[in-house]
Amino acid sequence: MDSSSPGIDFAVIGHQDSWQNISSFINGIRDEGQELSVEKIKDIFSFIPPRDIFRVKVRSKTGAAINGVYIETFIDPGKLDASFTKANVSKVMQAISHAKKMGARIVALGGFTSIVLEGNLDPFAGDDTKFTTGNTLTASYIAKGIEKAAGQHGINLNEANVLILGATGDIGLACTHYFKNKAGKLLLCARNKSRLEKLATELINENTAIEYSSSMDELVSSADIIICVASSSGIPLHNCKEKVLICDAGYPKNIENSSGDTLNGNLFHGGMGQVSNGYEFSPDYSNQIYRYAAPHIIHGCILEAMVLAFENKFENYSSGKGNISMQKMEEIFGLSLKHGIGIAPFYNTKGLWET
Amino acid sequence: MEATQNETMSIEAFNVISDVFSQAVTGELIGMSNFASLADTIDDVHEKMEAVEHANSERGHAEGFLNYAKKAGLKINVNLNGQYWGNVRKQFLSYAAKKDFIACLIIQEVILESFAVSMYTDVGHALGDEAGRLFLAIADEEKEHLEHSSDLLRAELKKDPVAFINKFEEIHSNCMTILAEFTATTDLRGHCGVCNGDCMKGALHHIGLDVTTMRGNALALYAQALDNIGIPGEKSIVWIARLPA
Repeated sequence: MDSSSPGIDFAVIGHQDSWQNISSFINGIRDEGQELSVEKIKDIFSFIPPRDIFRVKVRSKTGAAINGVYIETFIDPGKLDASFTKANVSKVMQAISHAKKMGARIVALGGFTSIVLEGNLDPFAGDDTKFTTGNTLTASYIAKGIEKAAGQHGINLNEANVLILGATGDIGLACTHYFKNKAGKLLLCARNKSRLEKLATELINENTAIEYSSSMDELVSSADIIICVASSSGIPLHNCKEKVLICDAGYPKNIENSSGDTLNGNLFHGGMGQVSNGYEFSPDYSNQIYRYAAPHIIHGCILEAMVLAFENKFENYSSGKGNISMQKMEEIFGLSLKHGIGIAPFYNTKGLWET
Repeated sequence: MEATQNETMSIEAFNVISDVFSQAVTGELIGMSNFASLADTIDDVHEKMEAVEHANSERGHAEGFLNYAKKAGLKINVNLNGQYWGNVRKQFLSYAAKKDFIACLIIQEVILESFAVSMYTDVGHALGDEAGRLFLAIADEEKEHLEHSSDLLRAELKKDPVAFINKFEEIHSNCMTILAEFTATTDLRGHCGVCNGDCMKGALHHIGLDVTTMRGNALALYAQALDNIGIPGEKSIVWIARLPA
């Protein structure tokens, strides 16, 4: 950072979810006619150490403005599974050191990178820089988005069966607790059987109507609404109801790319917000790696750090796993609205939903 | 690679190791020549003596590689005027002629030493035994050059960040482009003039290496060197992304 750069209120540590995005980013930087094939880019990309690649200026409707930076981890999007965890965590830790060195006051750990916060906060204790997974605001946008979309689709939530894929993850747990008194029945699915059984037992003891299984196929045919917050991508979806409403909030997307065209009319990308007063990137890579169906859309996890920075609320807001309370979901959602940041319009890969 | 290993070594491995040593000797002699030229650009007596000392250190490395190669019966080809090494040397001399000490430092101690340290480390681990130990020992010494330059260049950056970054970008574009073409999966500008036969890159697997990983590791170390100097990430990513591949 040179001496003329503004101070850093927040940093975002992230990774790309597809080689298509990475190719667009790298070739967007290169001179015209010098584009590289994806194979050539793969030879280099994941060797690059984490670094800040662009600045972000965000404006609140209160008139305030904050400055941040995006730090790319250069994690290979094809290597997000457990067998690469050690190498990936090492890259996240390098990115965290870089954020601290840049003087960021709060850091959002987006997508896979939140793993270091969900597992263990000790390495960050006592730091001047604070960290958040951003999962609380993401969960709020998913929950409020489902309520809004259900209304538009004529689905009565009180009578609906809500399937949550990834129910034992941090966001999955938050959605489970949010909808347990609002939905007709919860259908819970997670790969880890012991965690799923523990959650199911708790809910049954509270007299919540649930079904649960580690096999999605056993639950999907009775679901009216599906919330996808699993850490897997490419999950095939079969035998679902014709008018099922789907919120795919995974990063990378859990089911959209494997579900074919038939579901697109009912599927939206959840957990996303829109900044009414806008943001600017410098350099402007918005045509390469931040392409959305409408202007000024950002992931909820990133927006959480921005909202906290607007509020001068520099604290480890979302950390650990299973700590998201309904009170905090309402608090952060209210604060985001105060700054003109609301749920993004419904869209999927094909574009905005038809109104 | 002990004498007994030579007896059982495949001809392919022997040829690759010969080429690896040929590249290392050529690179060290380029470094020796560059430091000697660098001495001429420096007015400060102590710095001038230090540059000569560095040149002598590079001479010692070349000698170390040559001594081992002779003992192991490797086929060594030295060519300071080949497509890539020759062009790097020409770039260096163009800045030395202008007595541009900082530019010379960037080329020799950041760009070339990043590649040397990284590639010697990879080769050292792959070869093991005496040859491997030699590469690793020399990599350690080259690392000191890299660190030495970072301190000087950090101070230079502070004086005038915009001018320094612009200058660095120009040097990067002139020199790293040559190294990127040299280390691409296939030589982008033809044969290097150092390998004895065909380009060795396609045969590196005979000694447990591959050019993609070696190139990636070298670029990673170069990127870290840029970070240590204080080049903003938003600049260095653009420089790296624009390199030939």
